Amino acid sequence: MTSERTTLYRDKQNGKLMGVCAGIADYTGVNALWVRLGALMLVGMTSGGVIPFYFLAGLLLNKKPAHLYVDAQEQKYWQRVRQSPARTAREIRARFRDVDRRLAEVETYYVTSNPRLSAEIERLR
Amino acid sequence: MEAVFIVPTIAIGLPWLILHYITRWKTAATITTDDEQLLEELYQLAKRLDDRMDTVERLVAADNPDFKPRILPDLESDNQKLRELDRLIGNKGN
Repeated sequence: MTSERTTLYRDKQNGKLMGVCAGIADYTGVNALWVRLGALMLVGMTSGGVIPFYFLAGLLLNKKPAHLYVDAQEQKYWQRVRQSPARTAREIRARFRDVDRRLAEVETYYVTSNPRLSAEIERLR
Repeated sequence: MEAVFIVPTIAIGLPWLILHYITRWKTAATITTDDEQLLEELYQLAKRLDDRMDTVERLVAADNPDFKPRILPDLESDNQKLRELDRLIGNKGN
């Protein structure tokens, strides 16, 4: 059940205190600044009631593994997966269709113009 | 008299509310480890295929100067339209 890329971590490396806000930012793809501002607003609204929850989360959440994503593109991809897996699946399908269409272009070019055959004919003349 | 209403509201209503949202959250779109594996593989495969296609198009264009890929690889204006179309198909399916 514990899937590595769809669990919430705390991101100690990019965090300010324990990395809970940075972890939420990494999970959702929202800028960490907004998450922190939201957390501060929550602290103000509940007059400090959420502070214990912050430290509870800081204790319970695992640290983010160092090499979870190869590059920023992959990180973005998984953020989108966590937001909506169905949409990501559609996007992947679109990419495959894109490749299919481009391959068809190359195929059509070779079938219709046949450059190698015309080159052979040129040589025979 | 007021306490008669307030105590049950907090003692029953609040846990109810929290548990209600927890169950809603648990049954919402969760993906399993298998799904995750599949999405990972598809991502890598799509990336590899894209790169290979780039190479093939470059090779063909280098051999035959008259070959112009009608739709340039990974052009944002094309991808935008494709995504729009895909979104519409997805909405129709639901």
